[in-house]
Amino acid sequence: MNCVLEGNSIKAFGKAIHALSRVGDELWLDPMVKGLALRSVNSAHSAYACFLFSPLFFQQYSLDSVREQDSGPIKCKLVMKSVLPLFRCSTSIERSVKQCQISVSTGSDRVIVQFFCRHGITKTYNVRFLESEALQAVFASHLCPNVLKAPARLLGNMVKHFHASQEEVTLSMSALRVSLRNYNEGRNDHMKMMHTEMSLHPDEFDYFQAGVDSDITFCLKELRGLLCFAESHCLPVSVHFGTPGKPVCFSVEDMVLEATVVLATLADFESRGPSQPTETPAPTTHSCADAAALPVGMHETQSNNLQVLPDVTELVESSQGSPITYPPVLMQLQCQGDNLAELCVPAEACACAGMTPPSSMICSLLFKALSSELGDDDDYDDGGAPRLPVLAYFSDEEDYPRSPSL
Amino acid sequence: MPLSTQSQGDDEQYVLVASLDNARNLSNILKAITFKDHAIFTATTNGLKVTVEDSKCLQANAFIQAEIFQEFTIREDLVAFQINLTVLLDCLNIFGGTTTPGVSTALRMCYRGYGYPLTLFLEEGGVVTVCKINTQEPEEPIDFEFCSTNVTNKVILQSESLKEAFSELDMTSEVLQITMSPSQPYFRLSTFGNAGNAHYDYSKDSDMMELFKCTETQTNRYKMSLLKPSTKALALSCKVSVRTDNRGFLSLQYLVRNDDGQICFVEYYCCPDEEVEEN
Repeated sequence: MNCVLEGNSIKAFGKAIHALSRVGDELWLDPMVKGLALRSVNSAHSAYACFLFSPLFFQQYSLDSVREQDSGPIKCKLVMKSVLPLFRCSTSIERSVKQCQISVSTGSDRVIVQFFCRHGITKTYNVRFLESEALQAVFASHLCPNVLKAPARLLGNMVKHFHASQEEVTLSMSALRVSLRNYNEGRNDHMKMMHTEMSLHPDEFDYFQAGVDSDITFCLKELRGLLCFAESHCLPVSVHFGTPGKPVCFSVEDMVLEATVVLATLADFESRGPSQPTETPAPTTHSCADAAALPVGMHETQSNNLQVLPDVTELVESSQGSPITYPPVLMQLQCQGDNLAELCVPAEACACAGMTPPSSMICSLLFKALSSELGDDDDYDDGGAPRLPVLAYFSDEEDYPRSPSL
Repeated sequence: MPLSTQSQGDDEQYVLVASLDNARNLSNILKAITFKDHAIFTATTNGLKVTVEDSKCLQANAFIQAEIFQEFTIREDLVAFQINLTVLLDCLNIFGGTTTPGVSTALRMCYRGYGYPLTLFLEEGGVVTVCKINTQEPEEPIDFEFCSTNVTNKVILQSESLKEAFSELDMTSEVLQITMSPSQPYFRLSTFGNAGNAHYDYSKDSDMMELFKCTETQTNRYKMSLLKPSTKALALSCKVSVRTDNRGFLSLQYLVRNDDGQICFVEYYCCPDEEVEEN
């Protein structure tokens, strides 16, 4: 893949990376025919962001998909910390960078980012990447009952009222109004909390559709990056959501790019606190689970046992990783007909149909083996699918800093 | 002014007397080489040279010519002592170093000779402070034997562009590699960090390049930790000359303008980490 950016596009690209860095620690670079996608997902898999730049965004955009084993161009997973500094200072980029060239050549393990600057200076960065699974989540936003559209500034102003440390907020929508308030885990020290709530009349929005009355709670931190990007480009932001537990999607688009942030929302259980991400590889029935779930499909290109599964679903919660208590009822695998989130992974996406039992058994056994401490009778519910949360983190990383205390 | 009420007789005992109307003309330049506590002061009729060394691989020198001083009297051919540079800087800034226009700290530096402390008379706004700082036996500064006849490659750059490069250097890299060549890439700074490699290339036709004289292709690596302090000198300077000799030793010379527009020099000498010859 080889692409060339000039002028303002470089700055926009940099801002997109900034926004993605607010979501996750890794950046997936996915060159496709329809454009270059930059994606990130947080470690809890409760937030996913994607910036898709169409070929028109670039001065030049070409894919050389010559590759022996695979079809299609390379998908690279980069460590955010190695890419972000390259685009860190947008004022200096604006001032001195004339052209930016990004290329990935087959057979190499590096992404080459070159900045051609004024005064005859060239900066070349060879950034190592891990060739990895593609990352994608597709959210059928057109099926969402609730839709809001507003200038980025409006949302930015709404969000400004909440302290930077405020992790979660609740967005409520009814036919009469939209409100946003901060959400605090069910602790009893009300005296120590500051509660903020603001309400807006439907007229404030460019587009207002209240299909169902709904209160969704999601994590604000990952959204701020997108709002910042949207504000700098003066783009309106669309919000699509449904009932609590279903993901919420924030998106912006213009002629040459689209950006989406999909966040998991807390499901509507009273005794529930924010919980930790769980990995249950097998049952894709989790994708339509009652509990807050963000279906993110990870398609393994390398061959290993997991290839048996076309995709993997993680059951996630919307918050950032406090210890969980899981009432067993949450693990009931209910398949709801109106599943909104589908896994987008080559062909084998199986949203609600569920996995074939043998595969689910294989996968859960595999993961169970990795986390033998938890071996419990409670592991499986009646359906034969794993019940307990987490355990092994499905990825290449050796350390998962927010592992639940087992 | 209080400092001038010193009786003339006192001066006879000093082997070195140096006065500045603005102590910042000394303190600013000394800050550019303060990466170690101790410095060797060497004074000759030409002026003052302050030397700081690190692990026998790095040497920084600040030159303040006699003309910079309002008064510079030396009674011996060579006066040398070692002193705690941090303490000296603290004393020079004893009045807080505020930059109110028109107000500056005046300095009179006096040294009686071997075994005596360095005496500083500092005055600002009518307030006088006297500081006496103990001196030590001066160590012999390392002679890097860097002479212009052995210089293979030399470039002079405007500091502006190098400042940006140095501020963006990948600090996870243990070395800074400098490639100088009569052909592409001409002048290249490279780092090898955790994330990957980075290269900064300056074309020989760049308008930041004031002089480009490279006779052979040379690539040398220097420990990043040794070169890092040089960024302070770079920040103060307007031009920098980068030279390497046939052994790969690096000489960085910075042209610094002080508050009054006078020119001073700071230079850094660094040993190569390992020699990598590339064609």
